[in-house]
Amino acid sequence: MSDIEKIKKEKARWEEEELTPRLKKFNLEKPVTSFCTPVDLPEHDFLNKVGFPGEYPFTAGNASVEFWKANSKLAALFGFRPDWGGTRGVGKYGGFGTAEDYRDYLIRMHSMGRTGGPNIAFDLATQCGYDSDSEYAEGEIGKVGVAIDTFRDLAVIYEPYTGDKEIDKQPSNFTINAPCVVILAMYYVLAKKRGVDPAKLHGTPQNDILKEFIARGTYIYPPGPSLRLFKDSLVFMRRNMPKFNVNSIGGYHMREAGATRVQDLAFSMANAAAYLKAGIEAGLDINDFAQMFTFNAFGGSMEIYHEIAFHRASRRIYSRLLKETFGATNPKAMIIRQPVSAHIGCSSTTLQRPINNWVRAAVGGVAAGMTGYIPAAFPPWDEPMGLGHSQEATQMQFDATRILMYETGLTDVQDPWAGSYFMESLTDQTEAEALAEMAKIEAMGGAVAAIDSGYMQRAVAKSAYEKQKRIESQEDLVVGVNCFTGPLEQDVRVNTAVEPTYDPVRMATAEERQVAKLKALKRERDNRTVASLLNTLKDHAKDENKNLMPDICEAVENDCTLQEICDVMREVFGVYQQVKL
Amino acid sequence: MEEGGKIRVLIAKPGLDGHERGARIIAYGLRDAGFEVIYTGLRQTPQEIARAAVEEDADVVGLSILSGAHLSLTQKVLDRLKDANAGDIMVIVGGVIPDADVEPLEKMGVAGVFTAGTPITAVAEFIKTEIAKKSK
Repeated sequence: MSDIEKIKKEKARWEEEELTPRLKKFNLEKPVTSFCTPVDLPEHDFLNKVGFPGEYPFTAGNASVEFWKANSKLAALFGFRPDWGGTRGVGKYGGFGTAEDYRDYLIRMHSMGRTGGPNIAFDLATQCGYDSDSEYAEGEIGKVGVAIDTFRDLAVIYEPYTGDKEIDKQPSNFTINAPCVVILAMYYVLAKKRGVDPAKLHGTPQNDILKEFIARGTYIYPPGPSLRLFKDSLVFMRRNMPKFNVNSIGGYHMREAGATRVQDLAFSMANAAAYLKAGIEAGLDINDFAQMFTFNAFGGSMEIYHEIAFHRASRRIYSRLLKETFGATNPKAMIIRQPVSAHIGCSSTTLQRPINNWVRAAVGGVAAGMTGYIPAAFPPWDEPMGLGHSQEATQMQFDATRILMYETGLTDVQDPWAGSYFMESLTDQTEAEALAEMAKIEAMGGAVAAIDSGYMQRAVAKSAYEKQKRIESQEDLVVGVNCFTGPLEQDVRVNTAVEPTYDPVRMATAEERQVAKLKALKRERDNRTVASLLNTLKDHAKDENKNLMPDICEAVENDCTLQEICDVMREVFGVYQQVKL
Repeated sequence: MEEGGKIRVLIAKPGLDGHERGARIIAYGLRDAGFEVIYTGLRQTPQEIARAAVEEDADVVGLSILSGAHLSLTQKVLDRLKDANAGDIMVIVGGVIPDADVEPLEKMGVAGVFTAGTPITAVAEFIKTEIAKKSK
C-alpha cells in the first residue's frame, strides 16, 4: 500500500473514531475546523510549485536573502527610520497646499533630519486633470495633496533638491494616474533645464490607470485611450529615462473598494497583462521593460492564512505569466516588486473601539513577515477616525513592526509555510481560482474590454455589498461592530495628540494663492505659442501611432497648464462615462 | 413620495473624491430594503446634485463624503436645494465624519449623519421614520 493510501485509510478511521463522536457531542452537522494531511496535497511537485527563494516560480520569495533582512540589525543599532527615507529611497508620502507650501514643508523636514526624495501626493483637481481655477476644483485645492497646474509649480517643489540632493541622486514618487504623462513630462523638462541627464533619473510613478476605473475613481478618458497614454509614457521612459520605474500596479485599491481576494489577484494580473502587452506591441523587450514594473500592494484582510497563500500564489502566477505567456527569459523581469505585502488593509479597521485596530494591524504584520516582506503593522489604529494619524498611533505602528522584526524571530525563515499540506493546498486553490477568473477576463478580450463592459466595476461593487450583508446578518463577525457591543463592554479610548501635519493657515489660503498665481502665469506667458502647441498635440492625439510625450514635454516647457493639456485630449479621446451599477 | 409608493433616495458623491464603496453599498442596500434608489456616480457638483434631486423627485438626498470637505460641500448642496425650491428634501450624510462635525452638520439642517459601521438597516429605518413624521 502506498503512503497516501495508508494515510487515507487512517484518516477514515480517525474520522469515524475521533471526529464523528466529537461532532455529535457538540451537535454539529459539519466540522468547524479543518486538518490537512498529505491526502490534501497528492503528487505535490515541490520543485515545480515552490522551488527555492529567489528562483522561479518565486513562490518562496523574490530573493534568497532580502536587502532589508541583511541590514536589519544595523538598522536597529543605528536607529534608522525607513519612514524618514534613506539616501536611496523616497521620503514620506505627502503634499499639501501650493508648491511653495510643500517645498517649505520639505525644507523643514530636511532640517529635522529627514532624508529621501519627494514622494508626492497630488490634490484631487490635479489627479482629475483640472487646474486650480476650474469650477470642479473649487474647495479641493491643496487638500489631499499639492496643487500642480504648471511646470513652474513642479519646479518649485524641487528647489531644495540641488547639490548632493540633485534629482539624479534621489528618487521621486508620483502618486498620479490619469494625467501621469503630464507630470512625467514636467519632471523630464526639469532635468533638461537643470542640465541633469534624464537617463540618470530614477523614481516611480503610480501610472496604473486601469485600476482607477475599478476602484478609486480618478480617471479622465475611457480605458482604451488611457492605455494608449500609458503606452506612450512607457515607450518614452524606456528611451529617455531608462532607470525610471514605469508604474506601480495596485490591487490594494480594488480590495479596499470591496474586491474579493480572487478578484483582487485576477484583476491586478489582468491589468498587468494589459500593460505588458502594450509594451510588447510597441516593440520593447519584455526582459528589459518588465523589470521596471512595480506593484503597490496586493491584499488586505484579517484572514491571514488566506493572505499568505494569496501572496505565494501571486508570485507564482506573475512569474508564470511573464515566462510562459510573454516569453520573458530574465528572472529579474518575473518578480513582483512591491514594498509591502500581506497586511490587513485599512478596510479591516473599525471606527468602533478603534484602539483594537492596533491588534488587527499587528496580525497583518505577522502575515507580512511570513510572506517574506517587512512585517509592517499597518495602518495606525486611528486610521478610520479621519483625523490624520496621531503621534501616539504612528509610534505604536512603527514599534509593533520593530517588535515583530527584532523580538519574535518571525522573519528568520524564508517562506516558513513551504511544504505545509495546508498552505500548499490553499496556495494551489487560490492560484486556480484566480487563473479561472483571469481566463474569463481574457475571453472578454482582456482588462480594457472587461472594464469597458463594466464587468470588473460591477463585480467589485457586488462583492462589497455581499460583505456588508454578511456583517449585518452576523455571518461575518467584527468585534465591537456586530458582536460584543453590549452594555458590559467598555469603549476604550486614549488621549491622542494629533498635531496638524501641515500648517492650517497655509491650508486655508492655498486655493486663493494658487488661483492668483495661475492667473498671473496665464497673462505672462506666450499665449500664441501655447495655442499652437496645444493644436499640434490635438492633431497628434488623433493619430494612434504618434507618441504624445514629446508634444506634452514641449507644452509644459512653454507653460501650458495641466488642464489645457488634458482638455485637448478630452476633446479627442472623450471622457469616461461611469457604467450603471 | 406617491401615496403608498416607494421612497425615492438620491445617493450622490459631491466633489472629486473617487472612493465610492460606501455609496455603492448604501445604494444596493436601500434598493433591497424597498426604496427607489438613484446613484448619481462620481464627481457631482452641488448644483448638479440639487438639479438631479428635483428632476428625480427625490424624497431624500444621501451624500457620501470621505474627502474631509463634508462641511463645505454639504452646506453648498443644502444651499442649492433651497435655491431650487427643494429645501424640504431630507438630506443625510455618510462617510468619514469626525464626531466633532456631527453637530455642525445637524445645525445646517442635515437630518442624520451615518459613519462607518452603521448597518444599512439602521439607515433604512431612520429614513422611513423621518419620512413618516414629515408626511403626517
